[in-house]
Amino acid sequence: MAGEDEKQERKAQAGAEGPRKLDRRDVLMGLSTVPALGLFGYAWRRHHQHQQARLDAAVAPPVAPADLQVINVALLGAGAQGQVLADAMLRISGLRFRAVCDIWSEYNQKRVVNSLRRRAVCDIWSEYNQKRVVNSLRRFKHEVSGYEDYREMLDKEKELDAVVIATPDFWHAQQTVDCLEAGKHVYCEKEMSNTLEGARRMVTAARQTGKLLQIGHQRRSNPRYLHCYEKLLGEAKLLGRIVTVNGQWNRAVAPDLGAPARYAIPAARLEQYGFKDMHQFRNWRWYKGLGGGPIVDLGSHQIDIYNWFLGVAPSHVVASGGLLYHDPKTHEWYDTVMCVYDYDTPEGPVKALYQTQTTNGSQGYFENFMGDQGTLLISESELNYAGRLYRDPNAPAWDIWVQKGYVTAPKLQEVRQQEDSVTVVDVRESVSPDQHNVPIVLRDPYHQPHLQNFFDAVRGRATLNCPPEVGYESAVTVLKVNEAIEARSRLSFSPEDFRA
Amino acid sequence: MQDGTLARWPMITITLMRVVIGWHFLYEGIAKLTAPSWSAAGYLKQARGPFASLFKQLASEPDRLANIDVITMWGLTLVGLLLVLGLFTRLASVVGIGFILLFYFATPPFVGYFYALPTEGSYLIVNKNLVELCALLVVLVTGSGRFAGLDRIVHGLLARRRRIPAR
Repeated sequence: MAGEDEKQERKAQAGAEGPRKLDRRDVLMGLSTVPALGLFGYAWRRHHQHQQARLDAAVAPPVAPADLQVINVALLGAGAQGQVLADAMLRISGLRFRAVCDIWSEYNQKRVVNSLRRRAVCDIWSEYNQKRVVNSLRRFKHEVSGYEDYREMLDKEKELDAVVIATPDFWHAQQTVDCLEAGKHVYCEKEMSNTLEGARRMVTAARQTGKLLQIGHQRRSNPRYLHCYEKLLGEAKLLGRIVTVNGQWNRAVAPDLGAPARYAIPAARLEQYGFKDMHQFRNWRWYKGLGGGPIVDLGSHQIDIYNWFLGVAPSHVVASGGLLYHDPKTHEWYDTVMCVYDYDTPEGPVKALYQTQTTNGSQGYFENFMGDQGTLLISESELNYAGRLYRDPNAPAWDIWVQKGYVTAPKLQEVRQQEDSVTVVDVRESVSPDQHNVPIVLRDPYHQPHLQNFFDAVRGRATLNCPPEVGYESAVTVLKVNEAIEARSRLSFSPEDFRA
Repeated sequence: MQDGTLARWPMITITLMRVVIGWHFLYEGIAKLTAPSWSAAGYLKQARGPFASLFKQLASEPDRLANIDVITMWGLTLVGLLLVLGLFTRLASVVGIGFILLFYFATPPFVGYFYALPTEGSYLIVNKNLVELCALLVVLVTGSGRFAGLDRIVHGLLARRRRIPAR
């Protein structure tokens, strides 16, 4: 069709009309639709302004200090979690990436090094705080070196101030101790260590070297959690007497992560770093001795909140768990765990239930604190259960806290018309509680505030939100669950257990 | 249909249609580009119909998904720009039709499919994607860029093809 058209046109041109020059009319007609772009731009700007105004109203933008001391950072462990942390760090001002260390030099190391370099060009389009990020990115654009062996990195990179560790759990203790002793501040992902002995060594090393060690329980720096802890529970005591806690992380079945043959790590190096093969290297979370299973991977984040919000460590734990879904031939750690902690708080005893399971991701993850005056349902997720409060109708009014902006005004309940409904409500059913929301939104990646807190502490402008002693208490609390499952009995904690 | 045989008002209205379709593409592209973490994953994972497994497969490979995200974001933006400006209108129409075809077959509006994410309606086989696709076909075959659009200037400069006279 098109070919014929062209032929005919050429004939026509060669014939009567011939090629014409552009006249004024052609130019005007040619440009006639360009103004549409102007209108589009204007509309888009208005749209964007409205969005921005709504976001700004939710959270005040951070103030960038003027005299920012640059911190030289290395990333140790460049897998999925390392990438998450790197992405978050790229949004923090005053950091200079110097090195990325990963034993999977065939893939992980290159990927992250390249992305750090590439990002310096690409991300200027997508980041919120463009200028802030771009300036810090340009500085470290070509300076990232890749390492395989972290000891070599510590030897060569003399200018490093801090190391961020996101390796498998069983490497945390040794690497953290070595980095601290080399005079670096350390941000170490949770779980602090897969053994209490390792965790104790980390606490000791931090004390002896005087260097900072932040454990990656990032909810401790999340503004919503801080708001709930300080204002809602601390100042306003909205829940009254907390009696029960429940929390969960429902997770979908995770497939084998797989390992492309062309990126395989030589067997000798795998062995050197404690892995049997590529399959185990990729899926280390499934194996005893390497990780701690879902109760540690997921539960430790949330059980840490139990300890924090209740203000004490637990006294007892009962637990049940096992490999209910996965084949014991391929998986070692329990895919399903349910446990109940006993807490003796100054206000009285508390029971706290936690479950993590491997089926599907519905109902997600949250922590739910229930008191005689109200309930706090909170989650790190910005999408689900981000922060919801229920006030029992018999509790004192929360008007003053709404006025102060601590909680939102109650959601108007739809009054169910008797004639519209076929349901008959039992008279003994209590009046449903008022629902309020926690008005705090995190616009940054979930890990950014915790990293920011660490780097602020490195600059001497903040104290760590999760120092090793806190991480240790959390590790003791969580690792006991696996013990309790094996023991099939109620285990008790003594106060000494929590002291490193 | 042969280029340049339409009368003035049909050409004006088709040009208007081209600009509006371009606007839509441009919006979809820029909205994705400026969203902090847009990805086609959710859309691909809810794929239905004869090609469902193919689309789901794409969503399950992170590297490929990253490429798809970039192609979609920039592809929609560029097609939108070109259509609004009337530059390389035929090429932009073909690429745009390609995109819509993919969208249509990823989440076909066939009777009996129920989607959890918003789609472009379902009116028994026809949906808004299909309407927009057909409209782009009209844009493709009428060459409205050479009536009102930068193509008119480009072709005038190259003087290879006849501009479309407004009769």
